[in-house]
Amino acid sequence: MAKQSPQHLDASQFTADQQFSADVVIIGSGAGGGIAAELLAKAGLQVLLLEEGAYYDRDDFVMEERWAYPQLYQEAAGRKTRDQAIGILQGRTVGGSTTVNWTTSIRTPQPTLSYWQTEFGLDFSGDNRLSPYFALAEQRLNIHRWPVPPNANNAKLQQGCERLGWEYTVIDRNVNGCANLGYCGMGCPINAKQSMLVSTIPSALTQGARLISRLSVRQLHWQGNQVQSLTAVPVDRFFHPRAEIQVRIQAKHFIVAAGAIGSPALLLRSKVPDPSGRLGKHTYLHPTVISGAVFNEDINGHAGAPQSIYSDQFVWPSDGQAGYKLEVPPLHPVLMATKLTGQAQAHAALMQQFNQLQVTIALLRDGFHPQSQGGSVSLDAQQQPLLDYPISDYLWQGMRRALLSMAELQFAAGAKAVLPIHHQAQQYQSWAEAKSAIAQLAMRPLLQTVVSAHVMGGCNMAANERLGVVNADGQHYQLQNLSIFDGSVLPTSLGANPQLTIYALVWRNTERLISRLRHGSR
Amino acid sequence: MWPKASKKRITMNRRQFILSGLALGTTATLGVNGYQLLNSDDTANSELVLAALLPALLYGALPTAPAESDAAISRTIAAVHDSLAFLPLRQQQELQLLFNLLAQRLGRLALSGHWLPLAELSLPQRLTLFARWRDSYLGVLQQAYHGLRELLFAAYYSQPEHWATLNYTAPRFR
Repeated sequence: MAKQSPQHLDASQFTADQQFSADVVIIGSGAGGGIAAELLAKAGLQVLLLEEGAYYDRDDFVMEERWAYPQLYQEAAGRKTRDQAIGILQGRTVGGSTTVNWTTSIRTPQPTLSYWQTEFGLDFSGDNRLSPYFALAEQRLNIHRWPVPPNANNAKLQQGCERLGWEYTVIDRNVNGCANLGYCGMGCPINAKQSMLVSTIPSALTQGARLISRLSVRQLHWQGNQVQSLTAVPVDRFFHPRAEIQVRIQAKHFIVAAGAIGSPALLLRSKVPDPSGRLGKHTYLHPTVISGAVFNEDINGHAGAPQSIYSDQFVWPSDGQAGYKLEVPPLHPVLMATKLTGQAQAHAALMQQFNQLQVTIALLRDGFHPQSQGGSVSLDAQQQPLLDYPISDYLWQGMRRALLSMAELQFAAGAKAVLPIHHQAQQYQSWAEAKSAIAQLAMRPLLQTVVSAHVMGGCNMAANERLGVVNADGQHYQLQNLSIFDGSVLPTSLGANPQLTIYALVWRNTERLISRLRHGSR
Repeated sequence: MWPKASKKRITMNRRQFILSGLALGTTATLGVNGYQLLNSDDTANSELVLAALLPALLYGALPTAPAESDAAISRTIAAVHDSLAFLPLRQQQELQLLFNLLAQRLGRLALSGHWLPLAELSLPQRLTLFARWRDSYLGVLQQAYHGLRELLFAAYYSQPEHWATLNYTAPRFR
């Protein structure tokens, strides 16, 4: 593990209460916190970056899920919504989810920006364009079209699209010297992935920023329209907050970047003003359904870049139904075993076909319809976040259509059987059989497996304080020296993997913050 | 807004009510120490329940040689206990309560409809019991089915010793 140094402290080593101060304190070291830390440090500001997870790097990473999940993910990769019906993959380590994501980098779709303009008054056109910031982030993180042929898992998605005449796109990835290994989700073992862990954070530390890991921020202390300080506690080796030692931090400006579950939870614990009533509300997940397919040939979905092809054929349907993006996930033993349905021999027989299984996923674009208003974050008895996400009939119907599209695609790509991941579904031997069976499946929580790897919203931005928690610059409407710089500011889901949107938006908003701090007008 | 929020509160109470109602019924019979027993985080109860459920859930995946199978089950139980500590305390407490209930005679009856200890049921009976939770009208039992299933399969397939039939090995890049 990265050693204690003047630039990095591991809070779990603290033996007494501590106090720190800085110009700017950043809570969370993921896509938002990482970009902000480098720009602020470069601008000559004293930056203190706080992270609840550990400071692991490539020398620590183990390419086994039994190490990676508990050490690098929230709740050992087993985070669930209140009714346990949606599983959430979210990073919790230095670099946040960027350390464990699958590197897919997509600019915010134009229809999403247009919707934000109509519904939330957010104008990202003309002088407010995000495109210069997409270009800056793409250059900084070496985001480029993946030039290597897709692995078999992605190739099946491509072939299915080709045979059906569906749209598909080769994915842009934030990698440099990628060896096409396939283990992005366990932390890149060769520092090829240009996550915050290997790019902006080391750069910020070199320029004088300080990092405290294994520190959980519990509360912001505010008065009037100013945040004055925060209190935090170290976490134990299972990443649970400990009460014995208190850390108090003062700063001129506070940036909350703890992710779309952590950020609203911190603001709820701090009881900050919430006149819009939207704090912790309208949390979006890209709720995702899964379809397995058995092929005669080896797919080896654990090997090769995990995501290199996507299809936007169904993201923006003209009939107002819920749209969905088609992608594939990497396939590893625990991920596969926990999602495959059935038990005993039936489950064991499927696991024995581990290398012949192709898996397609459909990510629903939530937040664009009156019947898709997302979930809400609340606090449990330990003051830890809990996400409630009811699934509406509108979304269930979208999921059924998604299961149909995926089965059609997999048969078109040559699958000998397709297994929709639903606990009452069977393996179907033909598209016709799958089509009539999927039409009959009961779409209910837990019976229909739903997962998410993209958490968005909960502190949404809007052009006025009646419609949002922060403005388009990420500045909190009521607390003037508080900014929110992460995916929690998104007013809907994106219809695309979120990292590049967060990089660009935070880059833009950090530049604006620096200029405000320089001119003394907080 | 208000009716919606209050409905959620009722749902949560109902869920807690069902589990703690089962717990109360059991403690009434077990006597004063019963409550402590059900709320203890003694691993004996979870070991008992896991040792009964794993051979059923993993039938067809476990090695056929008894000694190897026993070793795989022990390894899996240890892996379950290792992973539990990383879950939120809220979830740890719910799982522990479920293990304690299943380990106690009355709780077992309430959850499974069987008087016999889990370990004395045949493997098909244990599977039927488990599947009945999945199809139960009680949300808390559906959650128990899906939660345990995921926890147990994750624990088993997280162990490299259990990957032989997958024709898979984890790479070493250093």
